[in-house]
Amino acid sequence: MIEIKNLTKQYGVIKALDDVSFSVKKGEILGFLGPNGAGKSTTMNILTGYISPTSGHAIIDGYDIIENPKEAKKKIGYLPELPPLYLDMTIKEYLNFICDLKGVEQKKRKAQLDDIMYLVKIGDLRGRVIRNLSKGYKQRVGLAQALVGNPEVLILDEPTVGLDPKQIIEIRKLIGALRHEHTIILSTHILSEVNAVCSNVVIINKGKIAASGSVSDFTSAEGTVNKFMISIVGAKPAIQKVLENCPGVRNVSFVRIDKDACIFLVESTRNLDVRRPLFNELSRASLPILELRPVGRTLEEIFIDVVNKDAVVEQ
Amino acid sequence: MLTIYKREMSSYFRSPIAYCIAGFFMVIVGLYFWIQNILSSSPLFSVTLSAIGMFLTFIIPIITMKLLADEKKNGTEVLLRTAPISMGQVVVGKYLAAFTVFLAMALLTTVFPIILLFLTEGGTNSAAGQDFGAYVGFILLGASYLAVTMFTSSFTESQTAAAVSGVVTLLVLYFMQSIGATLGGTFGGILKWFSPLARYSDFTVGSFNFASLIYYITFTMLFLYATVINLERKRWS
Repeated sequence: MIEIKNLTKQYGVIKALDDVSFSVKKGEILGFLGPNGAGKSTTMNILTGYISPTSGHAIIDGYDIIENPKEAKKKIGYLPELPPLYLDMTIKEYLNFICDLKGVEQKKRKAQLDDIMYLVKIGDLRGRVIRNLSKGYKQRVGLAQALVGNPEVLILDEPTVGLDPKQIIEIRKLIGALRHEHTIILSTHILSEVNAVCSNVVIINKGKIAASGSVSDFTSAEGTVNKFMISIVGAKPAIQKVLENCPGVRNVSFVRIDKDACIFLVESTRNLDVRRPLFNELSRASLPILELRPVGRTLEEIFIDVVNKDAVVEQ
Repeated sequence: MLTIYKREMSSYFRSPIAYCIAGFFMVIVGLYFWIQNILSSSPLFSVTLSAIGMFLTFIIPIITMKLLADEKKNGTEVLLRTAPISMGQVVVGKYLAAFTVFLAMALLTTVFPIILLFLTEGGTNSAAGQDFGAYVGFILLGASYLAVTMFTSSFTESQTAAAVSGVVTLLVLYFMQSIGATLGGTFGGILKWFSPLARYSDFTVGSFNFASLIYYITFTMLFLYATVINLERKRWS
């Protein structure tokens, strides 16, 4: 659905993007991750035709954004970092203007706008002037704008920035609901957001793609899990001793005390499931296990690894 | 294009600036009308029109200052650039909205020649032809000024900067005629030939020059085209 080939963007001497390529299949939600200034917005701006690349191609459903801008742009709904709102218009006037701009047929218009306003929950406010709306509602109007014309591709640049936690959850739910009819690229630097809604991830750093793959691939990238969080009732030194002497355990670190239980992080040697020996040893010592949970690498860790690795290579 | 035009028109009617500028303009014209026509008992409204041509230098940039600068400041420029319409449509739509506002202001002033008509004995005005010619010139001059100031405003995201650069550019155009006259020779002649105001005075004295008509239209289109190029250029930088 979306194909980005060897995209490079040069701002004077600074290379904002350096030979970036990736693709998004129909129906996917791609999380586009990266630290601030990594080139996320630049990529999205090129993809939507706002700016042009120095070289390379961005192809939307077969239409090149440079060679065939009109057709390509019809397929895209874009919510930039700052929602592009005319503050002096009411929501209804604004969305009607967007319909005009995107060439939505007059007779389909009312039903479509009603749908969208219901979906983003701004129907009751349609007569309100945008200037007077709260930030969360402005964001929703921005999202409504992107949905007008029912584009197949949605490109959302940090859609939850500056919203309160309740609004963030609502917007995420909404994005989740949109996945059935749209292919979505979502840029963010909030990693839990990617975990919550995305199926695939591209991590970009300093204008280059640092890593990419599906979210589940990422979080269990290590193959078998060899880290466990374990919570045991008893005295800390006694537990520590048992854990350290357990066969297969490579490293034990104390995390914290939670009421009468101690929590430890246990690492085993690779490819060895240490859970059974742990149970046996601890029960022999009459130390009841309250919780035993494998710890996969979180996206946070992967992200920081990837970003740091680049920094090290550079040095 | 019509979409952009409609949006700009509604924005003009919503903001107080258009009303203020129209009111201010009417006061100025009224004043000149009083001095040039009533006090000096002249039936020629074209004399007044000729005098107020200078004030367009300050009025036109205020009409065009928000057209492009505001879009950049509010971030709505993204919307226009990523919508399936061309930059040419955006520029022409906005220009036509500004032109409509100017045209409405010019139409308002026709109340003065109508007053003259009633004041003239017998109710016929022998100067009607000349006044009409002066109006054509006035509108052409305004049209070309609108295009120039729209072009200068395409460089900035601040309305103030857009207005100031517009006034300065129009002042340069305004003085081109007198500079040309002072310099004399071929270079002075060229400057004079290019001055929009020199051509305007031809219209106000009742001589209709076809070359001038072409000149104004070309002038306007050239600057609109330059505006489109300037905006497109930013995509690539």
